[in-house]
Amino acid sequence: MRLMLAKILVVLTGVMIIAVALVFAMVQNS
Amino acid sequence: MRYVIWGLFWIAVYLVLALFPCLVLLYGDMPGGYGFWWDFSMALGFAAASMMALMFFLTARFKRAALPFGVDIIYYFHKHISLLLFLFAAAHAIILLTTEPVVWVMLRPAQLNRYMAAGIVSLIMLALIVVSSLFRKEFQIHYDNWRLIHAFLAAAAFILVLVHIEGVGYYISTPAKRIIWGMIMGSWLLLFLYVRMVKPIRLLGKPYKVKEVIAEKGNAHTLVIVPEQHQEFDFQPGQFVWLTMFHSPFSMKEHPFSISSSPEQKGELHFTIKELGDFSRRIKYAAPGQAVYIDGPYGSFSIDRHFSEKGYVFIAGGIGIAPIRSMLRTLADRGDLRTHTLFYAASTIEKLTFYEDLNALKERLDLKIIYLLEHSPEGWQGETGFLSNMILERHLPEHFRELDYFICGPVPMIHLAEKKLHKLGVALHCLHSELFDFV
Repeated sequence: MRLMLAKILVVLTGVMIIAVALVFAMVQNS
Repeated sequence: MRYVIWGLFWIAVYLVLALFPCLVLLYGDMPGGYGFWWDFSMALGFAAASMMALMFFLTARFKRAALPFGVDIIYYFHKHISLLLFLFAAAHAIILLTTEPVVWVMLRPAQLNRYMAAGIVSLIMLALIVVSSLFRKEFQIHYDNWRLIHAFLAAAAFILVLVHIEGVGYYISTPAKRIIWGMIMGSWLLLFLYVRMVKPIRLLGKPYKVKEVIAEKGNAHTLVIVPEQHQEFDFQPGQFVWLTMFHSPFSMKEHPFSISSSPEQKGELHFTIKELGDFSRRIKYAAPGQAVYIDGPYGSFSIDRHFSEKGYVFIAGGIGIAPIRSMLRTLADRGDLRTHTLFYAASTIEKLTFYEDLNALKERLDLKIIYLLEHSPEGWQGETGFLSNMILERHLPEHFRELDYFICGPVPMIHLAEKKLHKLGVALHCLHSELFDFV
């Protein structure tokens, strides 16, 4: 269970970073 | 419950810190866009830099932060999040190379400045870290050498990234952003000093010494140590420590080992170590009086963390019996009256470490032991083969879905046991495992 939670946190971190990076790129170029 | 709340708190802290540099980019005066892909690539680069800084915090073994999860899972997370970090750093470079022809011009030897060079070398170092960590055993890199290389490459790669960010400078041009990056760098330097200086000095101040080394079945030895002029630490049965012997605590030559004794027996600590590498092969030569330094205890793999009203089931493979023996002895020392079950797998009967000791524990505990041998001798009364649903169903008590399970052994065995138990209807939160094969 802990392994699964760790993997979920890795995916969550990745998704959140990509989301913020996309927002940054869009705001910069709007 | 408090572990869950603290766990969620530390996850939130991690996510905020990982996203922090990207959020800082969005704060205050923004320098103006260079195009979508350029800016997207820059944000990924900043995220990778921030994740690099966080790697050092993840592996600094802060007890308070590690407590809700168990430090083994933090190292597991560290290993996997490192791959994501490398992907973001590589994506930062690849996006620029594929969408911005000007970057190719900047990479020409005549045009290449030291800031760009720092970024390239840092990326190469990250690639080396990933490859050497994933394939350490295949490349036959000694664990101690790997740790030194890993620490050097990680520190050098991070410093070069800071040089790269500072040199490019475009996105950190405002005073507020410079202060924030200064704080990130300052906190990393403080952490570096804490891990490499303060912690070893503390360990030097609380030395232990070897009392004796006992030969065990299964090519293992039990190292018995006693504290020198200080009290030994309190620990929960099943926990582990980082142990340094034959070297100073500054050497970074430490190894994780489970405590195999009971916390109810004060005055000494036992570690049962199988001969697997250079260090573990030297254990048997440790002379009484040899200095030992202990960083710990760590880990959440303990009966003291998971109360089960009707008893426990333990599943051990090979030397994975060490923390489980600690828990069984603790239960016996505490006069526990619940019914417990132990499945213990090994290749042959000679490899069953603590065989006699475990059988003797049955006199003091309501304990059912099922030995599983890959190669059983003639007339063997126990089970033969690998852990299967049939074996589990044959020996588990009727109320097995209400019990807590502690599983320790080789990683494939842990996964297999967890899968089988979950299929039989055991809830995931009742399955507890310990990973001790970090790299």
